[in-house]
Amino acid sequence: MSDSQIIERTLGGEPEAFNILVHRWERQIYGLTLRMLGRDEEAKDATQETFLSAYRNLPKFRGEAKFSSWIYRIALNICNTKLRSRAKIAISIDEQRETTGFELADDSEDLTSNIQQEQVARHVRRALQGLPADMRQVIIMKEYEGLKFSEIAEILGIPLSTVKTRMYTGLSEMRKRLEHLREAM
Amino acid sequence: MDTNKTPDCNMREALIAYLYNEATPEEVRRVEPHLKECAACRREMAAFESVRGMLQQWQVDELPGIRVVATSQGASVRSMLELLRELFTATPLWAKAFGAVAMAVLVLAVMGTEVKIGREGFSLRADIMRRGPGESAALPDQREPNPEKIELTRAEVKALVDQMILESERSESVELKAQLVGLESALQNMKSDDLARLAARIQQQQAQIRTLERDIDRREGLDLTDILFSELTTGSTQESGTGAQGGGQ
Repeated sequence: MSDSQIIERTLGGEPEAFNILVHRWERQIYGLTLRMLGRDEEAKDATQETFLSAYRNLPKFRGEAKFSSWIYRIALNICNTKLRSRAKIAISIDEQRETTGFELADDSEDLTSNIQQEQVARHVRRALQGLPADMRQVIIMKEYEGLKFSEIAEILGIPLSTVKTRMYTGLSEMRKRLEHLREAM
Repeated sequence: MDTNKTPDCNMREALIAYLYNEATPEEVRRVEPHLKECAACRREMAAFESVRGMLQQWQVDELPGIRVVATSQGASVRSMLELLRELFTATPLWAKAFGAVAMAVLVLAVMGTEVKIGREGFSLRADIMRRGPGESAALPDQREPNPEKIELTRAEVKALVDQMILESERSESVELKAQLVGLESALQNMKSDDLARLAARIQQQQAQIRTLERDIDRREGLDLTDILFSELTTGSTQESGTGAQGGGQ
């Protein structure tokens, strides 16, 4: 059953059908919110808010865009609101050092054999958190959600060329931030 | 040479599209020969591939387990069953008992049951149980309602219901009384505990006052003695001093 058919059923008096959409999209939405926000609990809240908002606004969904684009947009709006409402605490010097240097320069030889996926994931997480939100969301949607550049442009409501530029700049930043890790690997 | 420096070949959009296999044929025609010529862009692309590999190390396996409780009119609308449940919770005991009895009477009436309260006590007779396979509704004389009998049964049922309501109210009243007695006794206990604590504190403070008084008395006594003693000592010294002076003269 397609997303639009489920939406029709939901709006046609079968509200429980919406849970099929939740089940179908929660992994992607949670992945997006977690990578955007970097905090598990906050990401879970954002995911829940996304689906609730989608359910409440379902009658407004016109079907011109794909449901996935629509729900990604809702999720990103919720994430951006949460990010804005966070106190603008400057990243501490220690955190910055971890983000950029990762404390790997001194013992990179040992780490060559010891780096585990989990460690890399942690560094990636921190590095992503250090990126400006506009670059971060493009990278997340491209790398983790597997969306096409045109889809990202549609979701964000920006020109395709801007999406590509942000992606390029974002990857360049990530390259700098993960340079030490790359050498250690 | 700084390998991190982004090459400025004005090929960014085409390169990124090529990296993700989304380049148009025209972009492919531009990018591929360029990569053969430009070492900086080749390095950049290789670095991006590596970054992409690292990004893929962060996978999210956990699911938040979200379930939207969907209702036809939004999340705040409760189902009929929930409403009935809430109503039942809020209903007093006697009303619950009345409801239960009324329901039982209704069910029994539907089943064609006779309820009797006589000298032998309470008795029930149900048509559904009485009627065998051979006995059928084809006996009109047996199925014709007797108005007097119905009236009697109705009165009996009414009496039974009244009695049950009375019993229910009585038991509720007893329960309430027991709760009140319990509360009163708890209050009394609290009161006597508080009184005992107060008495102990008063005794303690009285003992402290007595100790202080004794101290003051002792000090005052000492002072007087000292004064007297010092006066006596001074007087005798003066006397002896005068004597010595006089002796010296």
